[in-house]
Amino acid sequence: MKNKIVIMSTLLLMLSLLYACANTNSLPRVHPEDVRSLGMPRPNCSECHTDSWSALNHRAPNYLAKHRFYAASSRQVCSMCHTESFCSDCHTRKDEIKPSDKFSDQPERWLPHRGDYFSQHKIDGRINPVSCVKCHGRQNNQRCATCHK
Amino acid sequence: MKLYHTSKSCLVLGAGAAVLASTLFWSTPLIASDYSISGESNTIFRMRRTIDDKKLLPAYEYLHLNMTDNRSDGTGLSLHIGGWGRTDLGDSPTSDSADGDVQYAYVTYRAPKDNTAVTFGRQFVSEGVAAERIDGLYLRNDFLYGLSASAFFGNSVITEPGSAVQNQGGTFVYGARLSQSNKKYYTVGLSALKGETENNGKYREEEGIDLWVHPLQQIDLTGRSTYNSITNGWMEHSYLVTYAPLSSIRIGADYAEINFKDYLYNMTNPALSVINPVWNANDKMTAAGGSVAYSGLGNLMVSADYKYYSYDKSGHANYFGGKASYSLPQSFVVGGSVHRMDGVVDKLCYNEYRAFASKKIGQADLTLDAINVNYDKKINGVTNSYAVTGAAGYEVNRKLRVGADVEYSKNPDFDREVRALVKATYTFDTNSAAEGGTKK
Repeated sequence: MKNKIVIMSTLLLMLSLLYACANTNSLPRVHPEDVRSLGMPRPNCSECHTDSWSALNHRAPNYLAKHRFYAASSRQVCSMCHTESFCSDCHTRKDEIKPSDKFSDQPERWLPHRGDYFSQHKIDGRINPVSCVKCHGRQNNQRCATCHK
Repeated sequence: MKLYHTSKSCLVLGAGAAVLASTLFWSTPLIASDYSISGESNTIFRMRRTIDDKKLLPAYEYLHLNMTDNRSDGTGLSLHIGGWGRTDLGDSPTSDSADGDVQYAYVTYRAPKDNTAVTFGRQFVSEGVAAERIDGLYLRNDFLYGLSASAFFGNSVITEPGSAVQNQGGTFVYGARLSQSNKKYYTVGLSALKGETENNGKYREEEGIDLWVHPLQQIDLTGRSTYNSITNGWMEHSYLVTYAPLSSIRIGADYAEINFKDYLYNMTNPALSVINPVWNANDKMTAAGGSVAYSGLGNLMVSADYKYYSYDKSGHANYFGGKASYSLPQSFVVGGSVHRMDGVVDKLCYNEYRAFASKKIGQADLTLDAINVNYDKKINGVTNSYAVTGAAGYEVNRKLRVGADVEYSKNPDFDREVRALVKATYTFDTNSAAEGGTKK
């Protein structure tokens, strides 16, 4: 018990020191430059940035596949340009309108379930069920239960 | 949280939301010097007829509100609320003639130093292995030597509170992520998530390591490996790398391994449960692919992609094709794609075509989008499935936009289906110019 207290106290002390000495400026809440004023529907961050942020080129063909890793690592960077509602356009918990139906006037935007997805979901689900899991595995699945009992 | 059960309560809630919105709107001048308020209201009417000849006319209201402290350093408190409600003006597709949801509702504090953030309320947490919607608390902070830490805990936001316990997806969930990064070269993170059942039993135990490596500006590697401590197996290894030898060329490659019995453990959706006979519970999926994109011809971008899926026990499939798009910023975009899915069973063999165009003419815009899937083998007597959508919009002023679209489709499940949607979008922002523009 005594050892545990010593270990916990040491960890807390180290944490406090690390916190006190860090003293870096926070990222701005809003991106200093309005990227939409650059005139592109999707920004290429490497046009201005030469460090790690240059990787966040939204026009890269595999950006959609990679965005989950960026968001899981540096969500505060995403929130400099995107509000929560942007994420919830697709990452819904319980929604009745497909993203592609809500934004049919934005055909260039990556949106899941375009077209006849009722027929297509049987194929996608069989090819890679994991692609359905994040949104429909443990939640947002009451419509699935209509047929999948 | 289920919001309403009857039309009456829906009306009460709708009226309440309208009063809240108008109160915020009219009180804006009084608090604008300290806070900026931004928001968006989407009022949507849909029209379609079901296979059993019901005439559905649901009306939706999607409302998003942000109230943000105007401190010059961008720190301070902010409030974010988003949700939707629906009431049926025609037949109802379910037993409920009204429904709705609070998608997020949280207060967050950001400190001027160390990216310290404290968020309380309904929120989407995305940290390492966690991508969870919780009603709870989230904390993050940067420390010395590139170290960062975050933690969260709360109740899982479940879809249907009234459903059976086994369908609810756990109750209490908590987790943390510790990362170390060198902004120029890498970020490596360790994360864990635990979920409990109602009687404090184990529901989920996942640990993972995530990487973001960029040794050169041209190379960027991201990925994650996740372990399930309950099943004692790796859920996934998923990694993607991009190489950009020139600013106009990007080459991508990806690799993923998924173990179904570990990944699909404790799913509440029967279709995705590990016991679903559609797939073998002990199967392992390996997916590997690549892509090449070229954007050296002005506003034209062309790309080609390939993906190979293989299963230990259930054969394999190839998916490959190409895309092209041409865009003039804020004015015109046209594009198309052709893909082929080639699986070992007939049901997994099809060609997929898409073409779209959108043109802005003054305050108006017109969009056409067509998707065609051609199956090798008939499904319900149909080999050719397609959906064509035509949309038109008009920007009444900087804040108000109205639009409508009509979709015509034919597919294995619906013969000549027509759907229509009318939408009015109202946005407001009291202080965007000072911040360099509104967020999307």
